[in-house]
Amino acid sequence: MKRTEPTERDTGGIGRRRLLSAIGGSAVAAALAGCSTLLSDGGGQQSGDGGDSGGSIPEEPIQAGLLTFTKGAPGVLGIQAQRGAELAVQRINEAGGIGGQRRIELDVVDEGSNPLDSYNQFIEEGKEVTFGPISSGTHSQIAPEVEKNEVVNVGTDGTVTTLYEETVPDPTYSFRFQNYDIMEVVTMAREAVERIGADEIETVAGVNPGYSFGEDEMRVFKQAITKLTGAEVVYEGFPELGASDMSNHITSINSEQPDVTFSSLWGGDVTTFVRQASANDMFDNTTVFGTTLYSAAGDVPADALAGTDIYSGSRNYYWGHPALGNWQPGRELFDAATAQDGVTVPTAHYMSGYGAVTAWATAVEKAIDLLGTYPSQGQIAQMLEGHGFFTPAGYHNMAEDHQGSSNSFAGAMVYDDDLGAARLDDVNIYSAAETAPPPGVAGSAWLDSWSS
Amino acid sequence: MAGTLETALVQTLNGVQFGFILFMIASGLTVILGILDVLNLAHGELFSIGAYAGIGVFGFVIGVVGPPSGVLGGVVFVLAVLVSVLLTAALLLPVGTVFEALFLRAIYDRDQVYQLVLTFALLLILLDVKKFVWGNTSLRTDAVYSAINSIPTSELVGLNYPTYNVFVILVGIAVVAGLFWFFDRTKTGRIVRATAIDREMATAIGVSTDRVFTLVFALGAFLAGFAGAMAVPPTAATLGMGTNPLVLSFVVIVIGGLGSLRGAFVGALLVGVIRSWMITLYPPGEIAAPFAIMALILLVKPEGLFGTWGETA
Amino acid sequence: MPERVETDGETRYRFLGVEATRREAVALALGVVALFAIPDVTRLSDSLQLSVIHQGLLFGFAAVGLNLLLRHTKLTSFGHAAFFGTGAYATAVLAKYAGLQSVGLLLLGAIAAATVMAALVGALSLRHTGLYFALLTLAFGQLLYAIALGQSALGGSDGMPIRPGPANQPLLLGTTFEPAVYQILTYYLTVVVILVGLFVMYRITQSPFRNALDAIGQERTRARFIGLPVRRYVWAAFVISGVYGGVAGGLYAVVRQYVRPEGTLFFLRSGDILFMAILGGFRTLVGPLIGGVVLIFLQDVGQDVTQYYEFLTGVVLLVLVYGFPRGIVGSLRSGGVVSTRLRQLRREPSAVADWARSAGRTAERKAVESLSSLRIILFGVD
Repeated sequence: MKRTEPTERDTGGIGRRRLLSAIGGSAVAAALAGCSTLLSDGGGQQSGDGGDSGGSIPEEPIQAGLLTFTKGAPGVLGIQAQRGAELAVQRINEAGGIGGQRRIELDVVDEGSNPLDSYNQFIEEGKEVTFGPISSGTHSQIAPEVEKNEVVNVGTDGTVTTLYEETVPDPTYSFRFQNYDIMEVVTMAREAVERIGADEIETVAGVNPGYSFGEDEMRVFKQAITKLTGAEVVYEGFPELGASDMSNHITSINSEQPDVTFSSLWGGDVTTFVRQASANDMFDNTTVFGTTLYSAAGDVPADALAGTDIYSGSRNYYWGHPALGNWQPGRELFDAATAQDGVTVPTAHYMSGYGAVTAWATAVEKAIDLLGTYPSQGQIAQMLEGHGFFTPAGYHNMAEDHQGSSNSFAGAMVYDDDLGAARLDDVNIYSAAETAPPPGVAGSAWLDSWSS
Repeated sequence: MAGTLETALVQTLNGVQFGFILFMIASGLTVILGILDVLNLAHGELFSIGAYAGIGVFGFVIGVVGPPSGVLGGVVFVLAVLVSVLLTAALLLPVGTVFEALFLRAIYDRDQVYQLVLTFALLLILLDVKKFVWGNTSLRTDAVYSAINSIPTSELVGLNYPTYNVFVILVGIAVVAGLFWFFDRTKTGRIVRATAIDREMATAIGVSTDRVFTLVFALGAFLAGFAGAMAVPPTAATLGMGTNPLVLSFVVIVIGGLGSLRGAFVGALLVGVIRSWMITLYPPGEIAAPFAIMALILLVKPEGLFGTWGETA
Repeated sequence: MPERVETDGETRYRFLGVEATRREAVALALGVVALFAIPDVTRLSDSLQLSVIHQGLLFGFAAVGLNLLLRHTKLTSFGHAAFFGTGAYATAVLAKYAGLQSVGLLLLGAIAAATVMAALVGALSLRHTGLYFALLTLAFGQLLYAIALGQSALGGSDGMPIRPGPANQPLLLGTTFEPAVYQILTYYLTVVVILVGLFVMYRITQSPFRNALDAIGQERTRARFIGLPVRRYVWAAFVISGVYGGVAGGLYAVVRQYVRPEGTLFFLRSGDILFMAILGGFRTLVGPLIGGVVLIFLQDVGQDVTQYYEFLTGVVLLVLVYGFPRGIVGSLRSGGVVSTRLRQLRREPSAVADWARSAGRTAERKAVESLSSLRIILFGVD
């Protein structure tokens, strides 16, 4: 890409003005969408329409907090989110900061122990925005605090369905960027129908992690798949997190030979499961469909995936789609991510961190553009409702119910020798309308309303 | 494979396999308890150090031997794995020695609660030593599990059961036999048992209890390391992996009777097999099952199945 | 007002039935003032967090309960989180399913549930003593943990909120408060509960009941022989100690407005409670409370300072076992290690060199012993 003022031809027929207005109007928005190279050099302050607003914007840096897992087994997910958030912050700062002035300083804290205390410390330290957490339980715990403290939080994951249905039914300051449980599970139910055919699926089973997340996912999957196919559930196993031995669950699957086995295992447990399943020839008897199996992409060894039959979702981001060669923003994000410490390939959790920061930053930019001053917490929250923005994963919308709305990705999980990690083959995309209830409708009521 | 009988058999074998791993861990714990009267809370960490160290040793030894090919190659490979496991376990001998001689010996005559604090302190320290040495992410050994599984065993009798699990069961039987032989037949083993039965009498006939204690603690560490190296190939070594086996071992030794080797053996297989059936028949009961078994057995037999360490091993 | 009495040639002060030497009375008064001043002190520094100290006090209070067993009956409970968790979960269940909003009623519920649970666990595990007892309490604790984890009605691993009523907050005196005010008010509630709890515990330790427990702790058979109803007394002590855990757990739930199995029922929490008692000094009344604050503070601050904070806690416990077996409070007392050494140091500053020499000699001897032991392992016992 030439570093000159782009012409209409360079940008595929979109001029700079049109491009900027399409992605939200500012240099920061362009940088976060991964389109900064389409702008002039670096796309700094001078090019952002929302950038210069006179002297009404304070100059001191924005203190932001990110609650994520930085170690242990869930570090596989959390460190991805951390790196994603860090890259987004870096891009914002390189583009001149929020409103062309305010750099972001991101404070990352492990959510492993006493996350509520860590969150409260963020507030005590006067953080202007918080991001995270990863865990559903933690999210349920801090969302009410977010509402009380009246400081915007954009959740990275914490994908529990009941968050905006029961825990905080009418949120003001709490938002969630990533696809939540219903979306990722319905994606995989549809993917199973797509790959195998509704008439071919007569029996289903599940091997899910033995805690709330796994139990919730299995419950939703049962509801969705029975509506879609009328299949019978023949086995549900729940190995403990970090279980060393899953042979009992695998033998049960072998004995029942279900057409589809659903799994929401993640991280290291995926490798243990897949490896022991291969050793027991489980893939002769079933096809596995999982929501978060691909979270182990950089961790699962080649021999474990040989001869398997696995489809995995990847929430709202898969780095390889559109193909890197055809999608410059995707290419740049991939290169930047893999250059970071601890990222073999960026997974959906990478986007959780990147997208949460992007959602907030672009909303603030938009507010500055409209107001001419730096917005209050209430104004930012208002701006985030219904806010549309771009990341290299595509277009996202923060719906009125505070739940992010994006496309979903799913494909066949195979090992890629060149990459030294797993990739998804033959990727399918599902729109938010196919995977999530409309705002205001509870997930289970929506599933109930499907005609079977 | 769909036959009910075959499923029942394989599920039971799964339980037996799990039970043998559990026995390797619990046996060390119970022997230390029976003779030193110390509950070693750091035992799970010794197990996990065995797993981490085992990954390194496997990598080195298997790098020398190469993947198995043909019958002879298969035998050589299995022997290489066994040697690696023994080497790993041997690495834990000095750890056990230092623990006993340096830390524990000073406080035998104190309130028992200090021994709990001490071994818990060692647990915390080892946790971070592991973090320092092996890092924060999980580690894996990729060569052993699939290579051993590629050697046909159960397939020969028409059963679909991973060869590695067969290997674990066979090694487990050897460990059980070896331990009973050691305590029943060897001079050192008899001295240890004599010390367990009557410490003062053993001293009176010229046994150095200090040495016996060190030996027993090192043996416990050896067994924990052995178990760690055996358990790691199908899964991964993680920082928190010591907790679950430790708690399950508590259950096993309470069921079997504190300090009873025979009790640990029966308890481990019982927990392994019943847990296995629980997962098959009533999956939500997986975590609670061992504790429920324990509560049941204690209601029927408050001293555990085999009482405490006594005249027989 | 305090009344002056002379006992055994010492001037003592008596107030509300509490008798103390001058030194103890001053420490007590300072302690009470410190407890009430903590919310203001924490505002001065970012690294001091009220919520952390509050949590330390709550777990420490559970440790005060556990200490009744440990100090007098010599029984080591490794499952006290069971009662802490029962109190916490009872509060959550009452708030969610019974719609109870009043903090007082929620705490009464916690006490009732913990009493029943302690009565039950006590009846089942007090057949044994020693390590068997420790392991049994641990196993019952883990059973409760597994149940809380497995029941979706209890929220599974995600846990349960304590946010009853339209205000989404338990009511103090029938009123809701801003989050920050609520935190401070619940803290003062905790302080009051702790002072009452310590006072009750003090009275217990001044009663004949305590003497009976001491007799049982020293020699069970003899206690039975002199006609003490050993089983019933120990069981009563167990229930009382469980109730302290339940109150602490109930307060914990009210304060944090969220309970999860990991934070309240997991066996490592039981370990924490036990080690708090020893860290603070289990031969003392207030030691466990201090141990609670110190241990939680250590874990929290340690995490900010180094990623190896478990190591740090481990080393502190090691130092405790070898250097200060009587705990923080026990060692600070007159006649404790600290004052003895200080006196020695004042008399003879060169004592430091002696201590270093003797530590070096010990380490050398241990190293030689380890080596000879290794030889035994390789060549057998002779």
